[in-house]
Amino acid sequence: MLFRYISKRFAVGLLQLIGLTIAVFFLIRLLPADPVSRLVGMNASPEAYAQAAKQLGVDRPLLAQLATYLGFQPEISPGLLQGSFGVSWVTGTPVTAEIAAYLPVTIELVTLSFLLALAVAVPVGMFGALNPGGKADKGVFVYSLFAGSQPEFWWGLLFVYLFFFTLGIAPAPLGRLSPMTTAPDVVTGFMTVDALIAGQFDVFVEALHHLMLPVFTMAFILSGPIIKMVRQNMARALQSDFVLYANCAGLPKARVARYALRAAMAPSMTLIGILYGFMLSGAVLTESVFSLGGIGQYAISAVLNYDYPAIQAVVLVITAISLVVYLALDLIHAAIDPRIAY
Amino acid sequence: MSSLHALSQSDLLPRRRRDWLFGLGLTIVVIVVALAIVGPYVGPYDPTLTTPNVSVPPPSLSEIPGLFGAWISGSLEVPPNWMGTDASGFDVFSRVIAAPRTDLVIALVANGLSLLLGVFLGLIAGYYRNAATELMMRVSDVMQSFPVFISAMVLVALAGRSTSNIVIALAFVYTPIYVRLTRAEVMSQKVRGFVEAARALGNTELSIAIRHVLPNSLTPALIQASVTIGFAILLTAGLSFVGAGVRPPTPEWGLMISTGANQIILGEWWPSVFPGIAISLTVFGFAVLGNALERRYDAS
Repeated sequence: MLFRYISKRFAVGLLQLIGLTIAVFFLIRLLPADPVSRLVGMNASPEAYAQAAKQLGVDRPLLAQLATYLGFQPEISPGLLQGSFGVSWVTGTPVTAEIAAYLPVTIELVTLSFLLALAVAVPVGMFGALNPGGKADKGVFVYSLFAGSQPEFWWGLLFVYLFFFTLGIAPAPLGRLSPMTTAPDVVTGFMTVDALIAGQFDVFVEALHHLMLPVFTMAFILSGPIIKMVRQNMARALQSDFVLYANCAGLPKARVARYALRAAMAPSMTLIGILYGFMLSGAVLTESVFSLGGIGQYAISAVLNYDYPAIQAVVLVITAISLVVYLALDLIHAAIDPRIAY
Repeated sequence: MSSLHALSQSDLLPRRRRDWLFGLGLTIVVIVVALAIVGPYVGPYDPTLTTPNVSVPPPSLSEIPGLFGAWISGSLEVPPNWMGTDASGFDVFSRVIAAPRTDLVIALVANGLSLLLGVFLGLIAGYYRNAATELMMRVSDVMQSFPVFISAMVLVALAGRSTSNIVIALAFVYTPIYVRLTRAEVMSQKVRGFVEAARALGNTELSIAIRHVLPNSLTPALIQASVTIGFAILLTAGLSFVGAGVRPPTPEWGLMISTGANQIILGEWWPSVFPGIAISLTVFGFAVLGNALERRYDAS
């Protein structure tokens, strides 16, 4: 059953990705932007313009371009079917390699932010639900509404002003390591993990130090919706029959709360998955405040330079990761909640 | 009673006096709406013109009462820069109160467009279930799986950084939300007794869909709108922050934060901090309002 469910979800996700690929391909070509003149300059001669258009392949009919991009004409250039996102129009490097370099930065940032946000938000949301209607619960509720509706890039700057400029306990927002430090060999692309693999503990600490403010910023924004959701699901779980039964049976309060939390976390998984996908794209702003050089900043430069292969690749990769995360969390949901069967 | 009627003016006022949070949200929203109307005209300086005084810090808290007295009595040659000036010499205060004209209008128009389109498509998809509407839902699924911020950035940057293109991009990313919400509500409403009654009275299907099902299916979309307006303001500001939003010198909060960002590392905090407070409070106001409406109408 489980296998059938997973393969069905993969099939649906794959169809969605194919639809997305084609939609993005046509959408960006329908918009009135001229990537060729962006590349050769406004004053280029018609010959130079035609030459550049030919080189990028945009002089061919749209359907032929799509066929090449999808990989049906590997003799012209490898495409998606061959596992290639094409070559960047700006740098000339294969987009796949560029994505592989930038993506881990964002995943590291978003994952650490989620872990911190969950570590804070789950107990706080639980506390609110266990003391409903009290002053503390109201405070928790107002906080969650507030944190969930904040401009993260502004909070990032505020943290920079406070912790870097005023207090001097955070590094300058200029990257993942200080310019004097040599980065460890790239194995996973996650700076913290790579430093540990290389056995450079001081670099590990420095990487964490540089991640401190960006992770605080994102965890603060994330804590809002997570607290709201945990509080709501927990309150619902506490009113259910099995909690009433557990209380009547005289189980200790802490143990009943633990059972209720388990039932409350299961439905929360779906929302956490949606938030994770949302944050992969929303990390753009935090990354640019702290110059981390992740997939978001790569997307900004791709968009501002009209680098179509790079734009398509970013959208596809982020969507694909989101879909895989949804699926994984749905499976965790089923594993936590004994009432769910596939 | 139709939901349109249920959302009438008297109901928007706090039912209980103790609901201070709702009052706060409503106050913030009313102030921002008022500023969107008069903001560009009431500031002491022209929000789009530079002054020769660059990087003037705001007056300290202790100076404000004296300055205010002098300003009221007219003994000052030039109006004070209540929030300082930025590195180009723009008066921050004048720009902060002029910005709702840009931010709120973009958010409202984009949401209005996507609400209209989304409700219309959602009604069709929920009322008439056939191959065509199923295909429409699949397209909507694909659109909804686009990463929101990056899609908006791509649309605005490639179509050209103008206010109308930002509105269209936002409407594009928000429409599927309204389609889905309305469709679900229409599907649950159309099997209810009053629809059967309307049909028995000889109404045509089209008239049932528009005159009976539609008014009863609007509530979720309208509640969503009040939250989404806030998020649209965040998105607009974020787009300006990464250089894919409105062009300077348009007074816009995100753009102001972005131009001040380079100075904040040198300790010049005021060009970024004041517009940030404005966004922070505005979006919070809309979130509170949306939450209050949600609680009021979800219970029924």
